[in-house]
Amino acid sequence: MKQAEVLTKLQEVFDGIFLEKVAAKPELSAADVEEWDSLMQISLVIAVEQKFRVRFRVGEVEAARNLGEFADLIAKRMEP
Amino acid sequence: MALSGDAAFWGHLAARSRQATSFSELFFLSTLRKKAKLPANESVQPKLRLALIGGYNLYPLHELVAHLLVTRGVECERFLGEYDNFVSEILDASSRLYAFKPDLAFILPNASHYRFSGSLLDAVEHQREAAVGAAEHLLNLAQTFIKRSGAAVILANLALPGDLDLGSFRSRTLGADWSFRKAVNLELGLRAPAGVQICDVEFLSARRGTMAAEDSRAWYESKQLGSPDFLVDIAQELSHLIASRKQGPKKVLAVDLDNTLWGGVIAEDGVEGIELGDTSPRGEAFKAFQNHLLALSERGVLLAVCSKNDDARAREVFEKHPEMVLRLEHFAAFQANWNPKSDNLQRIADELRVGLDSFVFADDNPAEIEIVRQFQPQVEGVLLGADPAEFIRRLQAGRHFEPRNVTEEDLERTAQYRQERRRTELAASVTDMPAYLASLEMRGTIKEFDPLDLPRIAQLIARSNQFNLTTVRRSETEIQGLLGRPDYRCFTMRLEDRFGDSGLISVVIAKIEGGVLVLDTWLMSCRVLKRQVENEIMNEIFRLAEAAGCATVRGIYLPTAKNGMVAGIYEEFGFVRTEDSAARKEFELKVEKYQGCSTKIRITRRAYEAS
Repeated sequence: MKQAEVLTKLQEVFDGIFLEKVAAKPELSAADVEEWDSLMQISLVIAVEQKFRVRFRVGEVEAARNLGEFADLIAKRMEP
Repeated sequence: MALSGDAAFWGHLAARSRQATSFSELFFLSTLRKKAKLPANESVQPKLRLALIGGYNLYPLHELVAHLLVTRGVECERFLGEYDNFVSEILDASSRLYAFKPDLAFILPNASHYRFSGSLLDAVEHQREAAVGAAEHLLNLAQTFIKRSGAAVILANLALPGDLDLGSFRSRTLGADWSFRKAVNLELGLRAPAGVQICDVEFLSARRGTMAAEDSRAWYESKQLGSPDFLVDIAQELSHLIASRKQGPKKVLAVDLDNTLWGGVIAEDGVEGIELGDTSPRGEAFKAFQNHLLALSERGVLLAVCSKNDDARAREVFEKHPEMVLRLEHFAAFQANWNPKSDNLQRIADELRVGLDSFVFADDNPAEIEIVRQFQPQVEGVLLGADPAEFIRRLQAGRHFEPRNVTEEDLERTAQYRQERRRTELAASVTDMPAYLASLEMRGTIKEFDPLDLPRIAQLIARSNQFNLTTVRRSETEIQGLLGRPDYRCFTMRLEDRFGDSGLISVVIAKIEGGVLVLDTWLMSCRVLKRQVENEIMNEIFRLAEAAGCATVRGIYLPTAKNGMVAGIYEEFGFVRTEDSAARKEFELKVEKYQGCSTKIRITRRAYEAS
């Protein structure tokens, strides 16, 4: 799956979780969104793992610096 | 759903939050609450100062706890301990923990620190000693904290590991992590003093399933104690324990009959036709439900029948059906008639002298639950549903009858209400009140606060609403702090008569301020109303005032929605009103002016006199 496709599906996850509209763009990071605290982070990872049927390895999510890198990570973990 | 402050929204949010078992759902509800406008909060209760300390990262657990507490009406200020620093936070009297001045601390030790350091083959006794030592260490820390802070403690025990390591040998030794922690947990629970409440993490983890509760990634990444969903379990338990500290369990369970205690409708199917007992799976389920109710009644919950039924037909089942577990003697009240159930519940409440807010009503019919919800909103309704196999779980889900402590009084309560019925019969046969009271042959025992009575005193202080002059709630730790205080006079009274023992039924806490004995707390169990107990209590108050050199006794009355019955009691004893605002009334009477009351109670012991 390409980054753009992942971001489109991530937008659906965002729409279900953030109360305010947050656009899923590659350069976005947690610091840009007021709602995005560590409680949100846990919730987001749970939702993403369910939506994409993936399981991240320890430390991976933290290493992603923005949404683009996170989308790439998702795509990588979706590979068979 | 509108994000507004309307009552339906908050009721729904609170109910959904309380039932939530997944992190995602609870997080969603918590976000929703923060976005919605808060309802006007009329409560003037001070915020609970809650410290969370322990061997794990307490964020975001504390956010979940705070959300659940708000939906239960408890606002709190929070203190979060440093990760794995709780031992020094407790031992260092100048730590930020004490500066925070907590009312309550939740201590969550890191389970992985509790390992047996010897060999798997060491003697079991030696391994057990190590487990006892570990438990004592934690309890000593809790005690140190209580002594220094005066706060109460909820201490978490240890989750058991789900490792396959060691295989079945793990149960043949106390040296394995699994068996060692299990032993520590048992010792913790059995040795914990009354002021330390245990949060049973082991049980919660087993209930969810160890593998679902564990989350090693969450540990490595952010030092969490388990999976996100398991944090919800801990937060749910903790908020339940906190909310039930000052709001005791329910006292009365009123149940329907048809399709609740047995399958079928007695008026149509007859005693032979109803489903009950071991001959069918459905009958077995109803019998199991009855056994559950019987166990509740033996623990002190009063059972009542509240059913649309013909009284004689309904009673016939209890008297004649061989598979009935519950018999008429197990019920403190029996209302089977064609009146609305909301009216019958009121009648039962009057008969038992228990407030409707202490009632749970269980019925299989959603329409009846809805009617009671509308007309008696204080009553907690439990919809049992259509499947009797689910009844016990549905009734337990509300957690209405979990005792903080089981006291002797609880175990004897149903018997006491039965005695009360015999007293009522006697009263009907004797024509005048003095003769009736004399015939009861009452004996009273008055005693200063005794450590052994603390659980019962705490229970009365937490639960009494009607005969309670000030409704000052105190935790067991706070009450313990009053023991041996030279500036306080604190006593209890027990009452016995020819029908039985009513147990400890009244509590007085008085403070000596200058030459005045100030009655901070006076409460009495309503089941001994009109038995002259209040007169003997007043006699004792003045006796103690005089012995303490006080010239005046001052009574305080703080009106609530429920304590109207005692609004005039001080004036009945000749006190004069000295302060009269809507929220607070004070009364005074000079000791020399008090005229003692003579009663039909023989007092066998008085307070602050060696027995």
